Amino acid sequence: MDAILDILEELKPGVEYRGRTDLVDSRELDSLTIIALVAELEDVFDIAVPAAEIVPENLNSPEAIWALVCRLREQGL
Amino acid sequence: MTSYFTPQFLVLFLPGSALCYQLVPRRARWAVLLAASYAFFWALSGWLAVFVTVSALVIWLTGLALGTEAARRGRELAELGADRRAVRRLWQRRMRLTLAVGVLANLGILVALKYAGFLAGLVRPLGAVMPELPRIGLPIGISFYTMQAVSYLVDVYRGTVAADANPLRLALYLTFFPQIMEGPICRYAQTAQALWSGAPVTAKQVFSGSARVLWGLAKRMVVADRLNSLVSPVFADPGSYDGGVIVLAAVLYTLQLYCDFSGTMDCAVGMGRLFGIALPENFSQPFFSRTASEFWRRWHVTLGEWFKDYVFYPVSLSGPVKRLTGAARRALGGRMGPAAASGVALFCVWLANGLWHGAGTQYLLFGMYYFVLIWAGALVEPASQALCARLGVSRSGALWHGFQHVRTLLVVVAGELIFRSASAEQGLELLGRATLDFRADSLLDGTVLAVGMDVADFVVVGVFVVLLLVAGVLRERGVHPLEGAWRRGPVVRWAVCFALLMCVVVFGAYGVGYTPVDPMYASF
Repeated sequence: MDAILDILEELKPGVEYRGRTDLVDSRELDSLTIIALVAELEDVFDIAVPAAEIVPENLNSPEAIWALVCRLREQGL
Repeated sequence: MTSYFTPQFLVLFLPGSALCYQLVPRRARWAVLLAASYAFFWALSGWLAVFVTVSALVIWLTGLALGTEAARRGRELAELGADRRAVRRLWQRRMRLTLAVGVLANLGILVALKYAGFLAGLVRPLGAVMPELPRIGLPIGISFYTMQAVSYLVDVYRGTVAADANPLRLALYLTFFPQIMEGPICRYAQTAQALWSGAPVTAKQVFSGSARVLWGLAKRMVVADRLNSLVSPVFADPGSYDGGVIVLAAVLYTLQLYCDFSGTMDCAVGMGRLFGIALPENFSQPFFSRTASEFWRRWHVTLGEWFKDYVFYPVSLSGPVKRLTGAARRALGGRMGPAAASGVALFCVWLANGLWHGAGTQYLLFGMYYFVLIWAGALVEPASQALCARLGVSRSGALWHGFQHVRTLLVVVAGELIFRSASAEQGLELLGRATLDFRADSLLDGTVLAVGMDVADFVVVGVFVVLLLVAGVLRERGVHPLEGAWRRGPVVRWAVCFALLMCVVVFGAYGVGYTPVDPMYASF
């Protein structure tokens, strides 16, 4: 989970990510940042994120992003 | 009946359909909607309705095939000892093939009907011998319902919606008449089941739907149709006017397009409410944007969302682009690398966006114009932040925000000047003349008043623009005037509807001396 916060902080510094549940809805993460985030997640956690998973529910909070990572690792995609 | 803005539609077809919808039992309401939708389609496009029927059949059959394949994949994954990775890969390949057949069939119809002539025109100068193509015509709203058809298939493939076994429900999802002409582009999950369920319509929906239709009519008839008197002559013969008049025409065309398209969307959303259907909003105060990309999140929202979900992310996450992104990250860093590599996906989005608007070189140029602006904006953003920090410019201050608003307005007006031109060549020429041949005196010496709009026309447009600004500010602040009117009781509700109706009747630009603007997005 801390790794998610580190990645977010590196991609877009100066934002308080803890406790946020509206990262996509509030446009804190725009589509270009999301692509950068996905690239980092795939590298760090050795997963492949399908386009179908790029929905606000999976990216609105650090917890949701972590849950997505865990689910994709479990599926072994 | 040629559009939503004819007396036959507004006085007979719409109220008649709404009445029938209310009178029949709930379980038969879908049939009223489907019959009305096909009747509307037939009135506007005649036998070309066969094409939307073919699209509905194709997505029905393809959806069922995808559903069957997904079920078989699920069974194989559930087997003990299954090599889950291999099973996933096998079925992914099969389902992709099925999806490709359905998508290509739909896009094939669109390309054949809309782009064949344009593509032949591009190839002929290269020496290719092309036979004369038959002129079939374009079914109304083909670009809109094709996007809905494709989104349904991709959503079934992705598993976000289940395949629908009912072809009539899919036909209604594609053809629902309030949205068929100009959108909004709905997803299956947003409207298909609601259209079928025949939910009861509340008095509040009738009020807010009627008021929204009247507000849309006012935008179109008071502003868009009135501005046509100046915009059409200038763009029909731009060589007769200097840069000052061309700039004014570009500004007024931008306003006209907004009032025409967003007014039609108000009507669509309002008509949807008359049948108990919540259609998605397509505009969110676009002229309050501070960047070009924000503008496109607020203008034609459902088109932007469609391109993001079905072009931008899939292209960005495709194998070759992922490899490119990886290389760019290593070379340029975690932020700049993906921004640079995103150029591939952005190029695809804006090429498709430009071509979607029409088969013409001006639309290609329009798409490339925004591609360059938005991609360059992403690339220079870190440098811009650093420069502002160095110069001590606050990026959260009113001065910076004001600069961004003005910059975005200029970008949008220049884009619409290209968009309204007859070709890319003319678009570039007009942009050049608007900047190099700009003379303010032609705006003040009476030249403008000789084109087609008199002082009274300008005053009416000016007053309505102030009204639009007030309405926009209220919506930005989360205030919904129709909600407030509903709470204040029946007298206020009737007064609102009557005032809007009077606004259309008294200030609408119709009759002798006015030519209504063609519903611009209907031909897309």
